Amino acid sequence: MNENAEKIVVARGLTKTFRIGKLEVPALRGVDLVIHQGEFMALVGPSGSGKTTFLNLVGALDKPTEGELTVLGRRVAELSKRERAELRLRSLGFVFQAYNLVPVLTALENVEFVLELRGMGSERRARALEVLDELGLEDIAHRKPAELSGGQQQRVAVARAVAARPKLVLADEPTANLDGENAEILMHMMRDLGEQHGMTFIFSTHDPRVVAHAVRVVTLVDGRVARDEAKPGEAPHEVVPGIGKAPAPPEA
Amino acid sequence: MAWVSSKYAFRSVGRNLRRTALSVLGIGIGCTLALVTESINRGRDELFARMGAYSGAGHLRVVPGGWRLRRDPRLRLADGKRDLEAARSLPGVAAVTVRARAQVLLAMGTHVVPLEMVGVDPENEPRTYRFVQNLEEGRYLAPGESGAAVVGRAVAERLRAELDDDILATAVGKDGDIEAALFRIVGIVATGSEDLDASICQVTLDDLEALTGLPSVAEVAVILEDWQASESTRALLAPRVAPGDEVLTWGEIAPEFQGHMEQDKAASRFIGFLIIVIVLLGVASAQLAAVLERRREFAVLSALGMQAGHMVRLVLQEGLTLGFFGGALGFALGAPLVWHLASAGLDFREYMGSSYSFQGVVLEPILYGDFGIWMIPYVLLIAVGATLAASLYPAWFAARTDPAVALRVAQ
Repeated sequence: MNENAEKIVVARGLTKTFRIGKLEVPALRGVDLVIHQGEFMALVGPSGSGKTTFLNLVGALDKPTEGELTVLGRRVAELSKRERAELRLRSLGFVFQAYNLVPVLTALENVEFVLELRGMGSERRARALEVLDELGLEDIAHRKPAELSGGQQQRVAVARAVAARPKLVLADEPTANLDGENAEILMHMMRDLGEQHGMTFIFSTHDPRVVAHAVRVVTLVDGRVARDEAKPGEAPHEVVPGIGKAPAPPEA
Repeated sequence: MAWVSSKYAFRSVGRNLRRTALSVLGIGIGCTLALVTESINRGRDELFARMGAYSGAGHLRVVPGGWRLRRDPRLRLADGKRDLEAARSLPGVAAVTVRARAQVLLAMGTHVVPLEMVGVDPENEPRTYRFVQNLEEGRYLAPGESGAAVVGRAVAERLRAELDDDILATAVGKDGDIEAALFRIVGIVATGSEDLDASICQVTLDDLEALTGLPSVAEVAVILEDWQASESTRALLAPRVAPGDEVLTWGEIAPEFQGHMEQDKAASRFIGFLIIVIVLLGVASAQLAAVLERRREFAVLSALGMQAGHMVRLVLQEGLTLGFFGGALGFALGAPLVWHLASAGLDFREYMGSSYSFQGVVLEPILYGDFGIWMIPYVLLIAVGATLAASLYPAWFAARTDPAVALRVAQ
C-alpha cells in the first residue's frame, strides 16, 4: 500500500441503516477505511457483513446514513442524484456478479454504449474495439450476450467497466458465477488493468482463490472492519501480452 | 448521434415479440378506426357543404345589409349588378346566379298553399339549385318568358293542380297593397323529399319583380369549384361588392344545418378520441410491463451513469418505434377501407329512402369518405402521439429506478 498515493476513497465512521417497515437493519456500523490509487483490494466477509452495501456507497448508488464518505474528493452524502450519476459515469466502473450486459446489444455495442453515455463522438467505436482487443475479446465483439459463455460475458463486463479508463472499478462478487479457470482469467485481467493503467479495484468475494490475488484484504463482519491486511498478492502473477489472456504458469 | 441508444431502443421492442405484436395490432386497429372516422367526417363535411350549397344557399351568398338578422325577403341588394359581376370575376367560381324571394299564397280553386316564391334567372339557376333538374313533368323556365311557374310535386298535389293549370299567386306589394298574378305551371319537380317538394315554386325574376313591385335582386348565390375555399373566396369578394351588401357562407345562411353538422362531427370525433384513449391505455400497460420486467437492467444503466432524462428518452424511443409500426399497420389496414368508402360510399338508402331533408337541405343517402394525402400525416400523428403519451408514465417509472434498491432486490 503506497501511503503517498492519491486517496481514492476515505470512509470515516461510515454507517448505513436500512428501514424495513418499522424495523431498522444496520448494514454498516462505523467503517473507517482509506483506499489509495492503484490498490487491488478484496472485500471479504460472511453474507450480510455489509460488503455490497459498502460497494454501493462507494459507487455512489446510495447515500450513507451517518459518517463521512469521500470518493475521488467528492462527499457522496452531499451529491444530488444527478451529480452521483455523473460521478459514476465519469470516474467509476462497475462489474456485477450476474454480468448484467444489455442483452440486445453485442459485446462491442455494450462497451460502446458506456462511451456514448459519456458523450464520446465517432471515435467511440474504435475505442471500444481497442479495449476489447486489449482484453483478447476481439473475436466475440459482434456476439450478443446470449451467445457468450459466462466467463466471456464477465470479461466483456470488465471491458465495459474500464473502457472509459475510470479511476475506480467496483466489482461485486465478480467471480461468483464463474468456474475456477474463468475466475483466474478474470482476476488476472483485472489485476493487469490495475497495474497498467493505475486503476483502483475494489472487489467483494467469498472465494479464497480470488482473495489470493488481492494486494489488500479487508474483512467485514457485522458491518465493521474486522481485519485489514496488506499482502503482496500470493497468487502468481505477471503481466503478459494481451491482458488476462492466460494466467502465468506456476513456478516449479 | 446516439446510435447505440437508438439500436438499444429499437431492438428492445423485439424482446417480447408477442407483446410487441399485440401492442402494434392495438395501435394499428386504433389508427384504422381513427382513419375511417376522420375520412367519414371529411366526407360528411364535403357532402353537407355541397348539399347545403346546392340546396339554394350557394357556397357564398351576397345579401343586403341587415338580411342576416331580419331574414326579410323584401330587402334588396344595394347594387345587384355590381355584386354579380364581382362574383363572376373571382377565380374558382363554378356558377353564379341572382334571385329574389317573396312570401306568397298560391291558390287554385278552393285550395291554397302558403310558401316562399323564388324569382330566378332561368339560365343559371339549375347550375346552382340542382333540384329543379329533377323535373317529373313538363320543362324548366325559359329565359325571358313570362307567367310561367315550376312547382314541387307536393305543391301541385296540395293545390290539386296539374301541368298547364293556372294558379293564382297573391303577395303583399311594395306599398303594403295586395298584389296578385296568374302563373301557368310549366314544370313539376319531384326531389324525393316531401318537405322540399312542398316548398318549391320558381318564376322568372322579372315576374317576381312585377308581382311584388320591388325592383332589383335580393341575393347573388355563388357556387365554388372547391367548397373548402369558401372563406378565402369570401375574403376576396367582400371588398368588391357594393357598399352595404354582405357576403355570407352557406353555414351562416343555414346555421341550424351547420350546427347539426358540427354536432355530428363532434360526436364522431369524441368516439374516435375514446378509441385512441382505450388503445393508449393498452399500450401504456404493455410498456409499463416491459419496464417492470427490465427493472434490473434500468438499475444497471443507472449504475453505469445513465441520467434519468436519458432513460426517459430511451423508453419514449421504444414507444416511438411501436407507434411507427402501429401507424404503418393502421395505414395498411385503413387505406383499403377508406378507399372503399371513397369509391363505393356508405349507402343509407335502406334507412332513409332516396333522399332526406333537414332544414330545407336535401341530403344524399350515400356518404362518401375522403381519401387523400392527409391520411399519411394524420395516421402518423395519431400513432406516434398516442404511443408517446402512453410511454410517458412507464418512462417516468423507469427514470425513478433506484439502482441500489433494484440491484439489491434482484440479488
